[in-house]
Amino acid sequence: MPNLSEKKSGGNLAGFRETQKHLKSLPFYQPRLLLLNLLIYGLVLGGLATLNGTLLALALPFIIYLGAGLLFEPEEPRLKVSRYLSADYAVQDEPVTIKLTITNEGSRLEEVLVEDLTPTPLELLDGQTNLLTTLSPGATVELSYTLRGKRGAYRFSKVLITVSESLGLFQKRRVILAAGQFLVLPEATRLRRVEIRPRRTRVYSGLIPVRQGGPGIEFFGVREYQPGDPLRWINERASARHIQTLFVNEFEQERIADVGLILDARQQSDAYAPEGSLFEHSIQATAALADTFLNEGNRVGLFIYGHYIDWTFPGYGKVQRQRILLALARAEQGDGHVFATLEYLPTRLFPARSQLVLISPLLPADPEMLIKLRARGYRLLVISPDPVTFEQKGLPVNREVELAARLAQLERGLLLNKLRQAGIQVIDWQVETPFQEVAHLAFSRFQ
Amino acid sequence: MKNFVFISIGLATLGLALGYSLSSLWLWTPLIVAMGLLWLVGQWRDWDGWASIGLIFFVVAAAGGVGHDAAAGWLLSGTVAALIAWDLDHFSQHLNHAGHVENAAELRRTHLRRLFVVASLGLLLAGVALSIQLELNLGWALFWGLLAILSLSWLIGFSRGESQ
Repeated sequence: MPNLSEKKSGGNLAGFRETQKHLKSLPFYQPRLLLLNLLIYGLVLGGLATLNGTLLALALPFIIYLGAGLLFEPEEPRLKVSRYLSADYAVQDEPVTIKLTITNEGSRLEEVLVEDLTPTPLELLDGQTNLLTTLSPGATVELSYTLRGKRGAYRFSKVLITVSESLGLFQKRRVILAAGQFLVLPEATRLRRVEIRPRRTRVYSGLIPVRQGGPGIEFFGVREYQPGDPLRWINERASARHIQTLFVNEFEQERIADVGLILDARQQSDAYAPEGSLFEHSIQATAALADTFLNEGNRVGLFIYGHYIDWTFPGYGKVQRQRILLALARAEQGDGHVFATLEYLPTRLFPARSQLVLISPLLPADPEMLIKLRARGYRLLVISPDPVTFEQKGLPVNREVELAARLAQLERGLLLNKLRQAGIQVIDWQVETPFQEVAHLAFSRFQ
Repeated sequence: MKNFVFISIGLATLGLALGYSLSSLWLWTPLIVAMGLLWLVGQWRDWDGWASIGLIFFVVAAAGGVGHDAAAGWLLSGTVAALIAWDLDHFSQHLNHAGHVENAAELRRTHLRRLFVVASLGLLLAGVALSIQLELNLGWALFWGLLAILSLSWLIGFSRGESQ
């Protein structure tokens, strides 16, 4: 993935309410300081109680140790932190380097511990997220590390700074905002070809046969010659049978179409196994379909159904591919009551009689709405990753689980049959098989 | 850094053991040596919080030694060595858990220099204090004690308030 731009953002200590709020929750007293105080008080009180000066003398090294800590207690740190990211977005498992530059704008700091609070699912590949150093006035230090992660949007916001004197008794902790974010895009495996036949196409030529004669590749029929027809279209056999009339071959026109991808992001339709969530497989399939449809010249839009109205307006080409991948990188599941069924699917977003592709494990109430959509003239293709087999892998192997899985499979089979009977193309996808293989087999069957 | 910790623990054990044994308190000497060895083992195995337990034991042992009229000079040396071991243990752990350490040499140098000054001053002042004999009655003792505790509390409280 190209390094599009270097993101830079900075933060300063002064004036952050959030910082101040956070401060109060940070402990000032160190356990070491507490222990030291207890020993001093114990020795002094013991000495006074027993009127024994030697005990008081034993307390003196501890008092001086504590005094040294107090004497060199760090001043209020004035640090400026800037964050640089090597990329705005990356593909899955591609390393991204994060660089923090910390500049001391105040007095000398004997010990500074910089801890970058990174989002947890990221894997550290190289370097460290913590840095311990000493900082003279005006000095700058850099903390650099490399991460990689799975699909998602990762936001960095806070850097925790702990300054202390050399003995480590007195510390000051501050949180500095240094924002940054990068997206990890899903992998888009291109499919060989996805056969769709929407009822309405656009005027531009593409790869979708539209059952109309005209320029194209596939033979469509024969008609009478009209002035302007190319001579190489003349059908000699048909023309030889009719005196004074010429016939020409017609070809089936191929055009592009509007394709609306609908990704089901409802929490209740998802399934979980030790390897992760089924939703991630749905995202992979959506990315592959978007890439293939766009590569064939179609106009593609994406609607993520589940969290909020997450709509990527339809478009063409590489820019649209990038938009869709970015939307998929940010995609999160939601459990909103409004999205519990497909009833509130905003169909007005999709052009009438266009091709819709739903990527969903499907819930029992879903066929009703899908059949309605079909009745309204939309062409529907449903890619349904199988949640039953997926979830069964994470469950213990016993009779009860097997029986439950069989029942669930029967229910699912009925649900898919209902859709097929309504003229909806359905691909039942066992996710252990790569999507491109399943899609290839299924589309050759549809032909 | 770890070697310094081991040496300090050894010196602390030696100081206290000598303090007890020179005053013929033979019964306690093996216990002090055993505790010193246990602290060494804990240090070697990186047992968490073991240094603090070691320091508490050594201070309590020194205070007990004072009660039994053990040699105060040796007890003081042992206590200061235990304080050094406790400090160095924390510092070494701090360096190990900090991730990337920049200017490590300077950090070590600054810390060791300060610790040396603090320990020397503490040993010197406590040594001087041991040689001074002052007669105090209960009233004066209470007065000075309360004054010491209040000023220490005020100093820490003041510092805490400033930092917030």
